Amino acid sequence: MESEVVVAHELKAPLSLMRQLALSLEFEKDMEGVREVGQQIVATSERAIRQVNDLTKVARLDDALFEMEPVNPRVVCDEVVAELWRLFEFNRRELRIEYRNKRRLAVANPQLLHSVVYNFCLNAMNYGGEELPSEISVYDRAGQIRIEVRDFGPTIPTKIWREVKDGFVKKPVATPMRPGSSGLGLYIASRFANYMRSDFGLIRHKDGTSFYIDLPVSGQLSFL
Amino acid sequence: MIFVIEDDRGWESYYRRILRRNDVKYFHDGVAAIAEMDFEHPPALVILDVLLTGPTGFAVLNEMRSYPELMNVPAVIVSSVAIEAGDLASKYGVVAAYDKGSMKPADLLEVVKRYA
Repeated sequence: MESEVVVAHELKAPLSLMRQLALSLEFEKDMEGVREVGQQIVATSERAIRQVNDLTKVARLDDALFEMEPVNPRVVCDEVVAELWRLFEFNRRELRIEYRNKRRLAVANPQLLHSVVYNFCLNAMNYGGEELPSEISVYDRAGQIRIEVRDFGPTIPTKIWREVKDGFVKKPVATPMRPGSSGLGLYIASRFANYMRSDFGLIRHKDGTSFYIDLPVSGQLSFL
Repeated sequence: MIFVIEDDRGWESYYRRILRRNDVKYFHDGVAAIAEMDFEHPPALVILDVLLTGPTGFAVLNEMRSYPELMNVPAVIVSSVAIEAGDLASKYGVVAAYDKGSMKPADLLEVVKRYA
Protein backbone atom coordinates (compact mmCIF):
# COMPACT_ATOMS: atom_id res chain seq x y z
CA MET A 1 0.00 0.00 0.00
CA GLU A 2 1.28 3.49 -0.78
CA SER A 3 2.53 5.33 2.28
CA GLU A 4 0.13 8.25 1.66
CA VAL A 5 -2.79 5.82 1.81
CA VAL A 6 -1.72 4.19 5.05
CA VAL A 7 -1.07 7.58 6.63
CA ALA A 8 -4.51 8.77 5.55
CA HIS A 9 -5.96 5.60 7.06
CA GLU A 10 -4.27 6.28 10.39
CA LEU A 11 -5.37 9.91 10.43
CA LYS A 12 -8.93 8.82 9.68
CA ALA A 13 -9.10 6.62 12.79
CA PRO A 14 -9.36 9.37 15.45
CA LEU A 15 -11.65 11.46 13.23
CA SER A 16 -14.06 8.53 12.79
CA LEU A 17 -14.08 7.83 16.51
CA MET A 18 -14.72 11.49 17.36
CA ARG A 19 -17.66 11.55 14.98
CA GLN A 20 -19.16 8.41 16.48
CA LEU A 21 -18.67 9.69 20.01
CA ALA A 22 -20.34 12.97 19.12
CA LEU A 23 -23.27 11.08 17.58
CA SER A 24 -23.51 8.86 20.65
CA LEU A 25 -24.16 11.87 22.89
CA GLU A 26 -27.88 11.67 22.17
CA PHE A 27 -27.91 8.25 23.87
CA GLU A 28 -26.43 9.55 27.12
CA LYS A 29 -29.00 9.81 29.86
CA ASP A 30 -27.15 11.93 32.40
CA MET A 31 -24.63 14.74 32.55
CA GLU A 32 -21.90 12.45 33.89
CA GLY A 33 -22.12 10.35 30.71
CA VAL A 34 -22.08 13.47 28.54
CA ARG A 35 -19.02 14.76 30.42
CA GLU A 36 -17.16 11.46 29.92
CA VAL A 37 -17.93 11.37 26.20
CA GLY A 38 -16.83 15.00 25.94
CA GLN A 39 -13.51 14.17 27.62
CA GLN A 40 -12.96 11.23 25.30
CA ILE A 41 -13.63 13.45 22.28
CA VAL A 42 -11.14 16.03 23.58
CA ALA A 43 -8.46 13.37 24.25
CA THR A 44 -8.98 11.79 20.82
CA SER A 45 -8.94 15.14 19.03
CA GLU A 46 -5.72 16.16 20.82
CA ARG A 47 -4.13 12.96 19.54
CA ALA A 48 -5.22 13.78 15.99
CA ILE A 49 -3.95 17.35 16.28
CA ARG A 50 -0.57 16.14 17.52
CA GLN A 51 -0.28 13.69 14.62
CA VAL A 52 -0.92 16.49 12.13
CA ASN A 53 1.46 18.84 13.97
CA ASP A 54 4.17 16.20 13.94
CA LEU A 55 3.73 15.62 10.22
CA THR A 56 4.02 19.38 9.70
CA LYS A 57 7.25 19.39 11.70
CA VAL A 58 8.61 16.52 9.60
CA ALA A 59 8.03 18.66 6.52
CA ARG A 60 9.89 21.56 8.17
CA LEU A 61 12.93 19.60 9.33
CA ASP A 62 14.95 20.64 6.32
CA ASP A 63 14.56 24.28 7.36
CA ALA A 64 16.61 23.47 10.48
CA LEU A 65 14.23 25.45 12.66
CA PHE A 66 14.58 23.21 15.69
CA GLU A 67 17.53 24.20 17.83
CA MET A 68 19.29 21.87 20.19
CA GLU A 69 19.51 22.84 23.84
CA PRO A 70 19.93 21.31 27.30
CA VAL A 71 16.76 19.41 28.14
CA ASN A 72 15.69 17.60 31.29
CA PRO A 73 14.41 14.21 30.06
CA ARG A 74 12.34 13.73 33.21
CA VAL A 75 10.44 16.96 32.53
CA VAL A 76 9.76 15.88 28.93
CA CYS A 77 8.49 12.45 30.06
CA ASP A 78 6.32 14.02 32.76
CA GLU A 79 4.78 16.32 30.13
CA VAL A 80 4.06 13.39 27.81
CA VAL A 81 2.41 11.43 30.62
CA ALA A 82 0.33 14.48 31.57
CA GLU A 83 -0.80 14.77 27.94
CA LEU A 84 -1.57 11.09 27.47
CA TRP A 85 -2.93 9.78 30.77
CA ARG A 86 -6.55 10.43 29.88
CA LEU A 87 -6.22 8.76 26.48
CA PHE A 88 -4.62 5.77 28.20
CA GLU A 89 -7.49 5.73 30.67
CA PHE A 90 -10.11 5.72 27.91
CA ASN A 91 -8.24 2.88 26.27
CA ARG A 92 -8.13 1.01 29.59
CA ARG A 93 -4.38 1.10 29.64
CA GLU A 94 -1.88 2.05 32.28
CA LEU A 95 1.26 4.10 31.67
CA ARG A 96 4.02 3.81 34.25
CA ILE A 97 7.17 5.81 34.52
CA GLU A 98 10.44 4.98 36.19
CA TYR A 99 13.43 7.26 36.57
CA ARG A 100 16.76 5.55 37.16
CA ASN A 101 19.02 8.21 35.65
CA LYS A 102 21.22 10.73 37.40
CA ARG A 103 19.69 14.17 37.34
CA ARG A 104 21.55 15.37 34.30
CA LEU A 105 20.42 17.24 31.23
CA ALA A 106 20.47 15.84 27.71
CA VAL A 107 21.14 17.66 24.45
CA ALA A 108 17.98 17.65 22.33
CA ASN A 109 15.22 19.80 20.95
CA PRO A 110 12.45 19.69 23.57
CA GLN A 111 9.59 19.76 21.04
CA LEU A 112 11.01 16.96 18.93
CA LEU A 113 11.99 14.87 21.95
CA HIS A 114 8.46 15.29 23.33
CA SER A 115 7.07 13.99 20.03
CA VAL A 116 9.45 11.01 20.00
CA VAL A 117 8.43 9.92 23.51
CA TYR A 118 4.77 10.66 22.76
CA ASN A 119 4.81 8.46 19.65
CA PHE A 120 6.60 5.65 21.50
CA CYS A 121 3.89 5.81 24.20
CA LEU A 122 1.04 5.93 21.69
CA ASN A 123 2.51 2.90 19.97
CA ALA A 124 2.70 1.11 23.33
CA MET A 125 -0.90 2.06 24.12
CA ASN A 126 -2.16 0.68 20.83
CA TYR A 127 -0.22 -2.57 20.98
CA GLY A 128 0.30 -3.27 24.67
CA GLY A 129 -0.87 -6.62 25.94
CA GLU A 130 -4.01 -7.21 27.93
CA GLU A 131 -3.94 -5.99 31.51
CA LEU A 132 -0.28 -5.08 31.28
CA PRO A 133 1.06 -1.56 31.69
CA SER A 134 3.27 0.31 29.28
CA GLU A 135 6.44 1.55 30.90
CA ILE A 136 8.65 4.57 30.32
CA SER A 137 12.14 4.17 31.73
CA VAL A 138 14.84 6.80 31.82
CA TYR A 139 18.32 5.61 32.67
CA ASP A 140 22.00 6.25 32.03
CA ARG A 141 23.73 4.07 29.52
CA ALA A 142 27.30 4.27 28.23
CA GLY A 143 27.63 7.99 28.82
CA GLN A 144 24.23 8.74 27.33
CA ILE A 145 20.70 9.07 28.66
CA ARG A 146 18.26 6.48 27.35
CA ILE A 147 14.51 7.00 27.25
CA GLU A 148 12.84 3.66 26.65
CA VAL A 149 9.17 2.76 26.24
CA ARG A 150 8.25 -0.89 26.69
CA ASP A 151 5.06 -2.57 25.56
CA PHE A 152 3.82 -6.13 25.97
CA GLY A 153 2.06 -6.52 22.63
CA PRO A 154 2.84 -8.53 19.50
CA THR A 155 6.40 -8.05 18.40
CA ILE A 156 7.02 -6.00 15.28
CA PRO A 157 7.86 -7.52 11.89
CA THR A 158 11.50 -8.17 11.04
CA LYS A 159 11.38 -5.71 8.12
CA ILE A 160 10.48 -2.81 10.42
CA TRP A 161 12.95 -4.06 13.02
CA ARG A 162 15.74 -3.91 10.46
CA GLU A 163 14.83 -0.36 9.45
CA VAL A 164 14.70 0.78 13.05
CA LYS A 165 17.94 -1.07 13.76
CA ASP A 166 19.51 0.91 10.95
CA GLY A 167 18.23 4.03 12.69
CA PHE A 168 15.71 5.21 10.15
CA VAL A 169 12.19 4.24 9.12
CA LYS A 170 12.10 5.09 5.42
CA LYS A 171 8.35 5.58 5.12
CA PRO A 172 5.15 4.69 6.92
CA VAL A 173 4.04 1.16 6.05
CA ALA A 174 1.19 -1.08 7.11
CA THR A 175 2.32 -3.74 9.57
CA PRO A 176 0.20 -6.91 9.43
CA MET A 177 1.09 -7.96 12.97
CA ARG A 178 0.06 -4.58 14.27
CA PRO A 179 -2.98 -3.77 12.14
CA GLY A 180 -4.60 -0.40 12.09
CA SER A 181 -1.16 1.13 12.23
CA SER A 182 0.66 2.75 9.37
CA GLY A 183 3.87 2.89 11.39
CA LEU A 184 3.35 6.65 11.26
CA GLY A 185 4.45 7.18 14.87
CA LEU A 186 7.66 5.25 14.34
CA TYR A 187 8.34 7.09 11.11
CA ILE A 188 7.91 10.45 12.87
CA ALA A 189 10.02 9.37 15.85
CA SER A 190 12.82 8.12 13.61
CA ARG A 191 12.87 11.34 11.59
CA PHE A 192 13.04 13.48 14.73
CA ALA A 193 15.71 11.28 16.34
CA ASN A 194 17.73 11.42 13.15
CA TYR A 195 17.45 15.22 13.07
CA MET A 196 18.69 15.42 16.66
CA ARG A 197 21.54 13.02 15.74
CA SER A 198 20.38 10.72 18.51
CA ASP A 199 20.43 6.93 18.45
CA PHE A 200 17.00 5.47 17.88
CA GLY A 201 16.27 1.78 18.13
CA LEU A 202 14.25 -1.06 19.48
CA ILE A 203 14.61 -4.25 21.43
CA ARG A 204 12.39 -7.18 20.48
CA HIS A 205 11.26 -9.17 23.47
CA LYS A 206 9.46 -12.49 23.53
CA ASP A 207 6.44 -10.67 24.91
CA GLY A 208 6.64 -7.23 23.33
CA THR A 209 8.90 -4.46 22.16
CA SER A 210 10.93 -1.62 23.67
CA PHE A 211 11.61 1.49 21.64
CA TYR A 212 14.35 3.81 22.79
CA ILE A 213 16.24 6.97 22.05
CA ASP A 214 19.76 7.61 23.37
CA LEU A 215 20.62 11.23 24.01
CA PRO A 216 24.02 12.82 24.60
CA VAL A 217 24.54 14.24 28.08
CA SER A 218 24.73 18.03 28.29
CA GLY A 219 27.66 19.62 30.09
CA GLN A 220 25.17 21.87 31.87
CA LEU A 221 24.09 20.69 35.32
CA SER A 222 20.45 20.20 36.19
CA PHE A 223 19.15 21.84 39.31
CA LEU A 224 15.63 20.49 38.87
CA MET B 1 -25.30 -13.23 23.27
CA ILE B 2 -23.56 -10.63 21.08
CA PHE B 3 -19.84 -10.90 20.43
CA VAL B 4 -17.95 -7.69 19.67
CA ILE B 5 -14.42 -8.19 18.30
CA GLU B 6 -12.56 -4.87 18.23
CA ASP B 7 -8.93 -4.26 19.17
CA ASP B 8 -9.21 -0.48 19.45
CA ARG B 9 -10.14 0.35 23.05
CA GLY B 10 -11.60 3.68 22.03
CA TRP B 11 -14.06 1.88 19.77
CA GLU B 12 -14.78 -0.74 22.41
CA SER B 13 -15.68 2.06 24.79
CA TYR B 14 -17.97 3.48 22.11
CA TYR B 15 -19.76 0.11 21.68
CA ARG B 16 -20.23 -0.17 25.43
CA ARG B 17 -21.89 3.25 25.45
CA ILE B 18 -24.13 2.50 22.50
CA LEU B 19 -25.17 -1.09 23.16
CA ARG B 20 -25.75 -0.84 26.93
CA ARG B 21 -26.67 -4.51 27.23
CA ASN B 22 -25.59 -7.22 29.63
CA ASP B 23 -25.50 -9.93 26.97
CA VAL B 24 -22.50 -8.52 25.10
CA LYS B 25 -18.99 -9.97 25.28
CA TYR B 26 -16.01 -7.94 24.12
CA PHE B 27 -12.85 -9.39 22.60
CA HIS B 28 -9.70 -7.81 21.25
CA ASP B 29 -8.87 -10.59 18.81
CA GLY B 30 -10.69 -13.24 16.85
CA VAL B 31 -8.85 -16.22 18.32
CA ALA B 32 -10.07 -15.42 21.83
CA ALA B 33 -13.60 -14.81 20.53
CA ILE B 34 -13.85 -18.13 18.69
CA ALA B 35 -12.39 -19.97 21.68
CA GLU B 36 -15.17 -18.50 23.79
CA MET B 37 -18.01 -19.42 21.44
CA ASP B 38 -20.41 -22.03 22.79
CA PHE B 39 -21.28 -24.35 19.90
CA GLU B 40 -24.56 -25.35 21.54
CA HIS B 41 -25.54 -21.75 22.10
CA PRO B 42 -23.75 -19.76 19.40
CA PRO B 43 -23.76 -15.95 19.44
CA ALA B 44 -26.87 -14.28 18.09
CA LEU B 45 -24.69 -11.72 16.35
CA VAL B 46 -21.02 -10.94 15.84
CA ILE B 47 -19.84 -7.36 15.34
CA LEU B 48 -16.25 -7.14 14.21
CA ASP B 49 -13.57 -5.02 12.61
CA VAL B 50 -11.56 -6.20 9.60
CA LEU B 51 -8.09 -5.03 10.63
CA LEU B 52 -7.62 -6.89 13.89
CA THR B 53 -4.58 -7.92 15.87
CA GLY B 54 -3.90 -11.49 14.73
CA PRO B 55 -6.27 -13.02 12.17
CA THR B 56 -8.28 -10.49 10.16
CA GLY B 57 -12.03 -10.18 10.51
CA PHE B 58 -12.48 -12.18 7.30
CA ALA B 59 -10.25 -14.97 8.62
CA VAL B 60 -12.39 -15.06 11.78
CA LEU B 61 -15.59 -15.30 9.73
CA ASN B 62 -14.01 -17.93 7.51
CA GLU B 63 -13.11 -19.98 10.56
CA MET B 64 -16.64 -19.64 11.94
CA ARG B 65 -18.11 -20.76 8.63
CA SER B 66 -16.06 -23.95 8.81
CA TYR B 67 -18.12 -25.14 11.81
CA PRO B 68 -21.73 -26.19 11.12
CA GLU B 69 -22.79 -24.82 14.52
CA LEU B 70 -21.39 -21.36 13.77
CA MET B 71 -21.85 -21.03 10.05
CA ASN B 72 -25.21 -19.29 10.30
CA VAL B 73 -24.23 -16.70 12.88
CA PRO B 74 -24.95 -13.28 11.34
CA ALA B 75 -22.05 -10.83 11.29
CA VAL B 76 -21.77 -7.07 11.09
CA ILE B 77 -18.53 -5.54 9.87
CA VAL B 78 -17.57 -2.11 11.18
CA SER B 79 -14.30 -1.03 9.63
CA SER B 80 -12.31 1.84 8.22
CA VAL B 81 -11.96 -0.23 5.09
CA ALA B 82 -14.87 0.42 2.72
CA ILE B 83 -16.77 -2.84 2.21
CA GLU B 84 -20.02 -3.74 0.48
CA ALA B 85 -22.06 -6.17 2.60
CA GLY B 86 -23.87 -7.52 -0.45
CA ASP B 87 -20.72 -9.14 -1.77
CA LEU B 88 -20.08 -10.88 1.51
CA ALA B 89 -23.51 -12.12 2.55
CA SER B 90 -23.30 -15.57 1.01
CA LYS B 91 -19.62 -16.13 1.64
CA TYR B 92 -19.29 -14.88 5.21
CA GLY B 93 -22.81 -14.36 6.54
CA VAL B 94 -22.34 -10.60 6.70
CA VAL B 95 -25.73 -8.93 7.18
CA ALA B 96 -24.41 -5.36 7.27
CA ALA B 97 -21.14 -3.53 6.76
CA TYR B 98 -20.40 -0.01 7.94
CA ASP B 99 -17.59 2.42 7.34
CA LYS B 100 -16.34 3.74 10.68
CA GLY B 101 -16.24 7.20 9.17
CA SER B 102 -19.87 7.36 8.07
CA MET B 103 -21.81 4.90 10.24
CA LYS B 104 -24.66 6.19 12.37
CA PRO B 105 -25.27 4.66 15.81
CA ALA B 106 -28.97 4.25 14.99
CA ASP B 107 -28.10 2.06 11.96
CA LEU B 108 -26.06 -0.29 14.08
CA LEU B 109 -28.70 -0.42 16.82
CA GLU B 110 -31.35 -1.30 14.28
CA VAL B 111 -29.35 -4.30 13.06
CA VAL B 112 -28.62 -5.38 16.62
CA LYS B 113 -32.32 -5.15 17.46
CA ARG B 114 -33.18 -7.24 14.41
CA TYR B 115 -30.81 -10.12 15.17
CA ALA B 116 -30.22 -10.17 18.92
